Amino acid sequence: MPEEFDREAFDDLAGEFRYVITDMICRAGSGHLGGALSLVETIITLYWRIMRFDSANPHWEGRDRLVMSKGHAGPVLYVALAYRGFFPKQELKTINADGTRLPSHADRLQTPGIDMTAGSLGQGLSAACGFAMGGRIRKQSHDVYCVIGDGESDEGMIWEAAMFAGHNKLDNLVAITDYNRLQIDGFTDEIMTLEPLADKWRAFNWEVMEMDGHDWDDLHTTIDAARAFRGKPVMIIAHTTKARGCSVVQDLPESHNIKVGGPEDFEKFMCALECQGYELPYEVQ
Amino acid sequence: MIATPLHEMEMRKAYAETLVELADSDPNIVVIEADLGKASGTIPTFSEAHPERFIDTGVAEANMIGIGAGLAVEGFVPFCASFTPFASRRVYDAITISVAYADANVKIVGTAPGITTGANGGTHMCFQDLAIMRAMPNMTVFSPCDAWELASCVRWMAEYEHPCYMQMIRPLQPQVFGEDYAFDPHTAVRMSEGDAATLVSTGWMTQFARQAVSELAAEGVAVDHFHYASVKPFDEESLLESASRTGLVVTVENQSVIGGLGGAVCEVLSERLPTRVKRLGVHDRFGEVATEEYLLNKHGMNVEHIKAACTEGA
Repeated sequence: MPEEFDREAFDDLAGEFRYVITDMICRAGSGHLGGALSLVETIITLYWRIMRFDSANPHWEGRDRLVMSKGHAGPVLYVALAYRGFFPKQELKTINADGTRLPSHADRLQTPGIDMTAGSLGQGLSAACGFAMGGRIRKQSHDVYCVIGDGESDEGMIWEAAMFAGHNKLDNLVAITDYNRLQIDGFTDEIMTLEPLADKWRAFNWEVMEMDGHDWDDLHTTIDAARAFRGKPVMIIAHTTKARGCSVVQDLPESHNIKVGGPEDFEKFMCALECQGYELPYEVQ
Repeated sequence: MIATPLHEMEMRKAYAETLVELADSDPNIVVIEADLGKASGTIPTFSEAHPERFIDTGVAEANMIGIGAGLAVEGFVPFCASFTPFASRRVYDAITISVAYADANVKIVGTAPGITTGANGGTHMCFQDLAIMRAMPNMTVFSPCDAWELASCVRWMAEYEHPCYMQMIRPLQPQVFGEDYAFDPHTAVRMSEGDAATLVSTGWMTQFARQAVSELAAEGVAVDHFHYASVKPFDEESLLESASRTGLVVTVENQSVIGGLGGAVCEVLSERLPTRVKRLGVHDRFGEVATEEYLLNKHGMNVEHIKAACTEGA
């Protein structure tokens, strides 16, 4: 596992993430594959190149916070947290199992390293505003990151929080929209268009940046610029591909929550992965 | 008969002054409003005393709850207030997930509960907040009856490290308790003793229940009256002991009779001591623009109705 940035090693890590996430979800029998795979490079960049944290002390006051407002992307976060030492990788295979600490949707009371509970869409950005206000009141220097979905941006509460953060110039807050252009019922342009999305956020008094959410250089340069930006909160629109790397569902609405009926389905999804040959970080029967 | 109160104080005055007092010594106390800070009294009392810990979200109640949740996870103790319907039913899922499910230590205050919202009418008249908040796991539900009890309740809430919901009445309230009163959510307050009936009241209705008890006493009827400032947790033992002696329980609340105080009483009695219960309150109706007197009479919950219910079958 790479500690410093190395393109080849990071590509390999992203491939391993997709392999493990897909295996976890297939073993569970169902799960939100598409939105987890679209965020792989974003989450790796945050946890390997941007965020400050202490996996031995998940509540360390000086850490950067992350709210996964699209809480159904829990699986990609769990792999990152396990690989960064918050809990044993062995535990990854327990996702959605009875008594697990890794529920389908992010839960701060269950999983070491999860800062906020989410799953009922639209609420996480408000919590992130609370984190950012808290940091301001206590004059702390950590940053707050919040990942929201594009479909999630249909929720009115997102825009309540957007107005609040803009009004209060919460420049310790960086939000990222996972703009994979798909929501459950179809393409966002057909179900509920978000465009002009960048202009919307600008109109709410945010600084807006855009990036290719699968390009290591663009990810690092953009998020680094966003955290350094002062005077406004920053929205980064991450252009991504839903279910990236799993050809049978890539860029299809069906990737949102896949059902894995049996061994044939299991094989179908695993064989469709672009990157192969990884060893699972947990024992399987 | 309680004709002249010894003393009166607006609950919102007590609310804001208590929060300032708490915030003076506790740097984690934060107030969040959604454009109703004047109505809940924190503008200007708190906003001027601790401006750096006063947040106004504008007319965005769900965002107020979500920001409160974020602050609470950071170790702050946010008090969020709005009119009762907007502090409860409008933001029910935000409270359920971001506060109760996430165990975020947020204090939610619903002002002008039930028929006390008067001239704002049906849109603002919330009769179900005690019921829906009571049905939420990890939520405590309180309805104090005067400013002194409210102040004590706020201090208790600030110490308690989990979510709370509290009703706060707008009109001036007659004094029921004194400075030495200590709010205890686990024990109902016995207001009077008797064997004719068990009378159970909460919040704004306790003053009318007291008046009914006083008038009945003058007529030679002694009622066992309990004030339940806490609807959840619910003091089952006081109710059971009293009901076992009186055989008749009357509940009265500034709410729907479905699911609130009356509901809690029926749940306890039906499982542990089946007893006849008469629930006074609003019977599955919406509110309307009207005076409190008119509405108390219309919904069968004024002093005369309470007296009649307590002597039914006598």
